[in-house]
Amino acid sequence: MTSEHSQPTNPVISQSGVQDTPDGRIPVGKTMPGEEPMLSVQNLKKVYHTDGGDIEAVRNLTFDLPKGQLACLVGPSGSGKTTLLKCISGLMAPTEGEVTLHGEKVTGPPKSMAVVFQEYGRSLFPWLRVAENVELPLKNQGMDKTARREVVAEALEAVGLSHVPKSYPWQLSGGMQQRVAIARAVAYKPEVLLMDEPFAAVDAQTRADLEDLVRGIWKKLGVSVLFVTHDIDESVYLGERVIILSSSPTVIQEDVLVDLPAERDQLETRSSQRFAELRHHVYEQIQLAKKGFRPEDAVANANA
Amino acid sequence: MTYIRTFLNIIALPLILLAIWFVSTLGETSFFVPTPQALVETFFETWTSERFVSDVFPSLGRLMIGIVLSILIGIGAGLLIGSFRWLRALLEPTLEFFRAIPPPVLIPVIMLLIGIGDEMKVSVIVLGAVWPILLNTIEGVRSMDEVLADTSRTYGMNKINSVRYLILPSAMPQIMAGIRQSLSIALILMVISEMFASTEGLGFAIVQFQRSFAIPEMWSGIVLLGLIGVILSFIFQLAERWILGWYHGLREIEQAA
Repeated sequence: MTSEHSQPTNPVISQSGVQDTPDGRIPVGKTMPGEEPMLSVQNLKKVYHTDGGDIEAVRNLTFDLPKGQLACLVGPSGSGKTTLLKCISGLMAPTEGEVTLHGEKVTGPPKSMAVVFQEYGRSLFPWLRVAENVELPLKNQGMDKTARREVVAEALEAVGLSHVPKSYPWQLSGGMQQRVAIARAVAYKPEVLLMDEPFAAVDAQTRADLEDLVRGIWKKLGVSVLFVTHDIDESVYLGERVIILSSSPTVIQEDVLVDLPAERDQLETRSSQRFAELRHHVYEQIQLAKKGFRPEDAVANANA
Repeated sequence: MTYIRTFLNIIALPLILLAIWFVSTLGETSFFVPTPQALVETFFETWTSERFVSDVFPSLGRLMIGIVLSILIGIGAGLLIGSFRWLRALLEPTLEFFRAIPPPVLIPVIMLLIGIGDEMKVSVIVLGAVWPILLNTIEGVRSMDEVLADTSRTYGMNKINSVRYLILPSAMPQIMAGIRQSLSIALILMVISEMFASTEGLGFAIVQFQRSFAIPEMWSGIVLLGLIGVILSFIFQLAERWILGWYHGLREIEQAA
């Protein structure tokens, strides 16, 4: 893209760990230097037309997701995260701007994308058993029966659910149901995996297990993951990069590189100093966003 | 133990009613009210002979064809109408109008149009029984869970698979509720359709008994209709338990939580 991409360092948080306060160096709608942009969101805008007037949910968003990256989108509640994800997944058409996957414009749900929704209870087919739920997208693709059976068994194994293929989803706990949804996405073998606050409705201990599961699957499959969350700790723990959204109408507040070691551990990583610094920084930015601070104002101030 | 209790629950009230009937008709000589013993005797005499073949059989045949056609048409048209908003907007007011017409009044009209044969009787059954299934199917398709629909779209589900694995099962609880209503409507219309210009059938037989003052025989026909209704409902419950097993399990868990 532009020459800015040649410098591989984090534009906001330097490697020394010193934090910058918000100033003119915040890139507005700028993306991280990526190797190979796979998913690209350009000048995305979404306005809902309602009887009570127009609601601008997303104002102007631009970022790239390189191949194989795990990025977290974090923002205050009501910051249009779900709207953004629906536009990216092709479920909803943006008002302006576009989403491209491998350079091709997304106009409907792309084949190589899988989505895990927050409402696991409503995204699994209650009339199908666990294995059948995982199998259905493959059946729809026309994969033959023996291959299907193998892929389903593998996917259930990967999420630790090999023992319940014959159960109905609603017979399982919330965390296990979300595992089924993840297994279904894994079996589909997508290039991009979108996750919309997938763990918001499960308890804290289950959530920690599921976070490690997502990182494990991400590493094993080499899939690009865009993980939407409102949980700051989760975003820092999981991501290689945290994209902070402003309050609505949404723009990108900041794009942070998470320079934690690749091997993450719930105890070690979360108690490390770097984790605390990153968490502190993201938290600060979210607070700013909630107060209505907007990055374009900061740029305007710096230029003045 | 639970089976015995269920069985007792089922037969308790009928036994009490029979006992009341038995006691109140003791020494009764009324021509119009038979005693239980007389009715049971007449029942077997009347319905196990050739009448079973000449009256009960054709009636049940028309009833079954009527129900099956109602289910097929109701679900088929319901899936179509429920899937397209414009089609729904276009058809729903008119459908409400046709639904509001009591099917028995259509019998003279249908007799003029397609005659007095089996087609007429089956048409009357379908014209009455199709509505609960049709309207419930439309409603079931319309109230599809959004997240589930989005999930299917993101996995690129094709049309046929969407109907088979998403739309039909998700509307099934409402479809079954519609079928349940349709069964009793179909039974009523089966009898009524046979009261006009007929030469056989249960409805015809009951009217004929009444006109020829064969009073116990008339009563036994009414009892037979009641039994057919009970058997239909029993078969329906078995089918529902099999088709909607997931739904009842889900509901139980939701209620326990």
